[in-house]
Amino acid sequence: MPDDGPRSTAEQPWPVRVVSQKIGAWVARLGWVWVDGQVAQITRRPGTSVVFLTLRDPSADVSLTLTAHRDVLDTGAATLAEGARVVARARPEFYPVRGTLSLRADEIRQVGVGELLARIERLKRLLGAEGLFDPARKRRPPFLPNRVGLITGRAGAAERDVLTNARRRWPAVEFRVINVAVQGPAAVPQMIDALAVLDRDDAVDVIILTRGGGSVEDLLPFSDEALCRAVFACATPVIAAIGHETDSPLVDFVADVRASTPTDAAKRAVPDLAEEVRMLDVARSRLGRAVTHLIEREQRHLDAVRSRPVLARPETMIEVRAEQVAGLRERARRTLDHRLERAGAELGHVLARLRALSPAATLDRGYAIVQVAGGGVLRDPSDVEDGEELRVRLARGDLTAAVRKVG
Amino acid sequence: MSVEELSYEDARAELARVVERLESGGGTLEESLALWERGEHLADVCQRWLDGARSRLDAARRDREA
Repeated sequence: MPDDGPRSTAEQPWPVRVVSQKIGAWVARLGWVWVDGQVAQITRRPGTSVVFLTLRDPSADVSLTLTAHRDVLDTGAATLAEGARVVARARPEFYPVRGTLSLRADEIRQVGVGELLARIERLKRLLGAEGLFDPARKRRPPFLPNRVGLITGRAGAAERDVLTNARRRWPAVEFRVINVAVQGPAAVPQMIDALAVLDRDDAVDVIILTRGGGSVEDLLPFSDEALCRAVFACATPVIAAIGHETDSPLVDFVADVRASTPTDAAKRAVPDLAEEVRMLDVARSRLGRAVTHLIEREQRHLDAVRSRPVLARPETMIEVRAEQVAGLRERARRTLDHRLERAGAELGHVLARLRALSPAATLDRGYAIVQVAGGGVLRDPSDVEDGEELRVRLARGDLTAAVRKVG
Repeated sequence: MSVEELSYEDARAELARVVERLESGGGTLEESLALWERGEHLADVCQRWLDGARSRLDAARRDREA
């Protein structure tokens, strides 16, 4: 900015009126602007024609005072009430008497529900295109959270539903509850703060953001862009349960889990203890049965193998061979017997033949064999001398005789 | 690897092979005897595995009930 005058110093300070006048000049430089905000407060002072409005940013804890002539209000926003969304053409004014700043509007238009919903639709497309609704980006809440963060209205049915149902399912569940405004101009900044607080709490590993049903206007904070981005940026998984099942504020799409009601949110956040115990028992008994069956099956298998003859009667292995030995021994014996028999029979034949050739039978009939001293058989009387000794063989014995020649 | 170090499955498979060879006959008496001894040994190892598994199961059940 160009410097347009002498500088102030400790020796030559500017009087208040000069500073005030300079601020007024600076402020005026902004000129006319179109401003979008939410009416936090309307003050119509009796006896004056000027209406004071507190205009808030719906996403941040920032507000400005807006002043307008009653006629301006009557023309553009006759039924303006607190909480309404307005667009105003205004320029900043510095009020030197008190040193305050306000916007002076010469045109105020109330933003209708239709326009608000259209804006939400545009925002939805924008956030969708940016990937804030991407299912791949969604995180699963832990099966059993250490501590559940709960952001909800003060003493509302939603808070009670979440706490009651969560404790019914898992009596030991621990909560850190932050109560916030869930509608009106303060809602979004308070919810963003609460999200940050719970996200920083290491013990909190899932956050439930919930409110009960309400009008379309009541639920507007839950489609706020800043809130949606805060939920998306939150490192802790967020479960959203806003309004009734048919409501679908944008934060429902950004949240990691979209629950239909506060009760449903409680179910998504903590497991059912009784159900888990029952499943554990079932699993344990199935486990035991499975192992028992396996062992029994293997035992049957092993018994079957052991009862096979080769293992059950190993003697067979030896017996078979013993039978082979006995059989061979028997064959050998039979063979030998046979041969002995045959040899005996042959001997008999030879003996018979021998006997047949023997002179004994001839002797039996009364013949005698006469042998000379040398053993030779005597056939011719001229072969012996008178007085020579002869041996006579008879059937039943021998005798000796002497020769006496006749004649 | 000694028979004692075999897993249950390996011991069982080896036992099946031994029985098959014994049943198919053949081999010398010395070999058959050695095979049979190995089979008995393998069957003992299998049985020990099964007994061990059973006692671990029983112990786990007792712990649970205690």
